[in-house]
Amino acid sequence: MHTTFTPGDDAMHKWIQRSLYSAVLVSVAGVAMADDGFTLEGPPKIAMIYFDAKNDGGWTQAFDEARVKIEKELGQKIQFVEKVPESASAIKPAAERFISRGANIVIGTAFGYSDTFKELAEKYPRVAFLNGSGTTNGHNLESFYGRTYETHYLCGMAAGAASKTGKLGFVAANPFGVVNWTVNAYEMGAKQMNPNATTTVIYTGAWNDPVKERAAAMALIDQGADVIGQHVDTPTPQIVAQERGVYGTGHHRDLSQFAPDATICSAIWTWDKFLVPELKKIAAGNWKPAPYGAFMTIPEGGGDIAFGKVGLSEEAKAKIMAERQAIIDGKHIYAGPLVDREGKERVPAGSTLSDADLWKMDWYVPGVITQK
Amino acid sequence: MDLLASWLGNVPDFAVPYALAALGLILTERAGVLSLGAEGLLLAGALASIGTQLAFGVAGLSLLAGMAAAALVSILFAVMVIVLRVNQVIAGLTLVFFCQGLTSLLGTLLEWTNQPIRGLPALALWPLSELPLVGKLFHQNLMVYLTVPIFLGVVWYLNRSTSGLRLRAVGENPQAADAAGIPVLAYRFAAVMAGSALVGLAGAYIAVLSTKMWIADMSGGRGWIAVALVIFARWSPWKALAGAVLFGCIEALIPQLAAAGVRLPQYFVLMTPYAVTLGVMIWVALGGRQNNAQPGALGEPYVREERR
Repeated sequence: MHTTFTPGDDAMHKWIQRSLYSAVLVSVAGVAMADDGFTLEGPPKIAMIYFDAKNDGGWTQAFDEARVKIEKELGQKIQFVEKVPESASAIKPAAERFISRGANIVIGTAFGYSDTFKELAEKYPRVAFLNGSGTTNGHNLESFYGRTYETHYLCGMAAGAASKTGKLGFVAANPFGVVNWTVNAYEMGAKQMNPNATTTVIYTGAWNDPVKERAAAMALIDQGADVIGQHVDTPTPQIVAQERGVYGTGHHRDLSQFAPDATICSAIWTWDKFLVPELKKIAAGNWKPAPYGAFMTIPEGGGDIAFGKVGLSEEAKAKIMAERQAIIDGKHIYAGPLVDREGKERVPAGSTLSDADLWKMDWYVPGVITQK
Repeated sequence: MDLLASWLGNVPDFAVPYALAALGLILTERAGVLSLGAEGLLLAGALASIGTQLAFGVAGLSLLAGMAAAALVSILFAVMVIVLRVNQVIAGLTLVFFCQGLTSLLGTLLEWTNQPIRGLPALALWPLSELPLVGKLFHQNLMVYLTVPIFLGVVWYLNRSTSGLRLRAVGENPQAADAAGIPVLAYRFAAVMAGSALVGLAGAYIAVLSTKMWIADMSGGRGWIAVALVIFARWSPWKALAGAVLFGCIEALIPQLAAAGVRLPQYFVLMTPYAVTLGVMIWVALGGRQNNAQPGALGEPYVREERR
């Protein structure tokens, strides 16, 4: 174990105490415990590190709304800090301050926290770390993310049902696996309702640039798209859809808050549904993080959908809810046979796409129109 | 053809903020003060205008509030570089970070983030708006049309008025200007504030008229492009306007091509505005006609007693 101490810090004494304590524990419990799960030393004390402001309207606000529910469910306050950028020099002081104040469960909320959280988890083996949309895992570290292709498949169904032209537009950030799987699922969902539906995607190259998002949504609508889906962080595409009198589907949270006349359906986060049982598992002791991170389906807290008030008939909603139930009952969206738009077989009949292939998805199903 | 029409229609939303910001920077830099704080001033203008719009709902007032806020913030910069003679590069960069932090803090505390607002309705310039293809170009909000008189005004001021002549003298040779009885520091102070107000107007345009909402750091690097535009335009307002329109055309074309299903490598496409900047700068440099364009005393603090 590698631990650094600064002179005058009482961490040294604590560390010695803890080492003795755990040495006693290990000798009492015997060698059998050594390779087992992670157990907290005291009652759980939770802290969260937010990537953005808690009222950002999207990603971080979804975490903050989950925090309130978790507090109620677990009956304890959760400390949090906002707007911690994705750099080690910002993440470490925030996490270490929480730990020095006694926090023993630290929850991060960004892909860019992954490496720093791995480092912190090794430096503080008695603290449990969780990281939303992270990529690193360990004995006391678990990354988690939702299978957003499920919820975007359902949003795609809504879009296919609401569209008159059959031309759907989609404003996305960057062509990564996590974005591409929502794009493909969106098109596959839309085809369920309208076999001729196409999805034209514009990648803005940024998660948070309302100027580019507005131009992208305008261009899509100018070219005949009458439902605008999105996988970017601001509600701009929905607001443009409302201004131009077309429909849209949201991401992160129920965006009908911003565009009540446009947003027909949103793919939302339900982090509390994952975090409450996971935090209880940590508190119960002998917690074993998933070796490749938790990758949740709808019933496990991997997200859900929220209908808006416009655009969908009861019949369409019933169809979408039936598919939602099928997904909950185990239906996999990327089940074979699946070919990409170049005609290459991607998933053979009778099998489903592996998680590894999902994360590196760089192909599109027929009907998706993108740049290269 | 649809593509061309909707492309041209979207150009002003990109071009106007670049044009106004570059014009503001030219005004400041012609007085000899190097202004790198545009990115921060854009944010100050954007936040103040959104706040005003949320409170009063009058777009004209919001744009003025954006100008006022940027001018107010620029006093800090002016005091640093003109009175205290802090290095202008460092002070400009500091201003950017200061504004980024301050605006995102205020936007969060005041809960102005993501609140959609109504901008200005599009005004059709009849009969130009009825023209085929370019018609949409004359279907814009009032501020787009006002940009032209603002440019005319600033160009007239710089080139035709006595005060403008003095301002340029201060930027070219402050010692001589001082000897001629021109209050150098006062001119520089005023040039910083007036130029910053124009950058603030550009920020207000982005927030109130283009995106119609506030999001932290929404300027997205456009202030830096304006700084580059000024160098690229060799401190000439009309060339800056041309550059802004060129950039606007490219940026507006990117989503149009994607929406039309043209398959181009997306990262290459996103790079094109910057590649064009590089290309034009090299072309201008090879042309060799730009030698005298930069204000002579740009970036140098003025100290009356100092011998040079």
